[in-house]
Amino acid sequence: MLQPNTPRKTLESWKQIAAFLDRSERTVRRWEENEGLPVHRRSHEKQDTVFAFRHEIEAWRRSRTKCPGDPLAGEPDSLSSSKSPINGYLIEHDAITRTMHCYIAGARAGDSNLMRPAFHPSATISGFCQGVEYSGSIQHVFEWIDKNGPAPAIEPRFARIEVIGTVAVVHLEVQRWSGKLAGANARASDVFTLLRINGQWKITHKLFHWHE
Amino acid sequence: MSDIEYLPEYDAIASTMQMYVEGSKHGKSELMRPAFHPNASFFGYAGEQLAVGTQFLFDWIDKNGPAPHIEPRMVSVDILETIAVVHLEVAGWSGSLAGSGVRMSDLFTLLKTPNGWKIIQKAFHWHA
Repeated sequence: MLQPNTPRKTLESWKQIAAFLDRSERTVRRWEENEGLPVHRRSHEKQDTVFAFRHEIEAWRRSRTKCPGDPLAGEPDSLSSSKSPINGYLIEHDAITRTMHCYIAGARAGDSNLMRPAFHPSATISGFCQGVEYSGSIQHVFEWIDKNGPAPAIEPRFARIEVIGTVAVVHLEVQRWSGKLAGANARASDVFTLLRINGQWKITHKLFHWHE
Repeated sequence: MSDIEYLPEYDAIASTMQMYVEGSKHGKSELMRPAFHPNASFFGYAGEQLAVGTQFLFDWIDKNGPAPHIEPRMVSVDILETIAVVHLEVAGWSGSLAGSGVRMSDLFTLLKTPNGWKIIQKAFHWHA
């Protein structure tokens, strides 16, 4: 049973989300499309009934990045200005989240160019799809994403972000994946391995599981 | 867990955790109490002292006062039908008992009750 959300915790419309970010509705809708603004939709309702958690919007605002050619890339966020060991965890956690949002943006738009910067050039993929084992170059993912097309209703959730020095593991649950290849409403459980190279987190491996 | 269940359960758990965060941020135990099961337990070392019992936590939160700069991050959420485990990292604790710039690692176990997801146990590590 869902917890009732007080107005303090959630923003319940595009209007409230826009007001919270002090931008127009058009801008925040574009941010959802292109920059991974974490907006959710309630199940069994119209596509346009949205809500957002304040803490997620705030975290996104701190870590906001466009994906390719991002003028904000490399710009220190407010946390990195005080480089104490205590903040080190947060900086890495947020940097990993930024990389993952590039992946999510690419999936949502059906555009591999948006997600490419998230990956190491030698990244690989493994997993089963309808009983067939796939493994090989990450290029297969890019081709799949472009062929599948947009999945505007995807709902990603971070089930795990574990940082151990220069490596990290992310378990991403993605529901409502649609498109020419995904179908109407697919669910994926993906486990990503990331490496921190030259201060940037890059996905080195994607392990996927499509649910029946 | 079927497709229909995962999102609402994840989001409901996140809402319960948000009550804990709000109570911590504002230094008001009344804001976080609804997140806890009446039989919840609580353990951890606060310095040398072993802290036991949710009343210790609620008293500590009220006495510590606001911690407006806390930075919480959900590191992991594991959902198994009616139970869940959440690892929450919270940096930037401040207040009359916390000091300043303090980091805590919290592990919560939650139970799915008829009144929603409730914290049944909290264990914490206060980083030196």
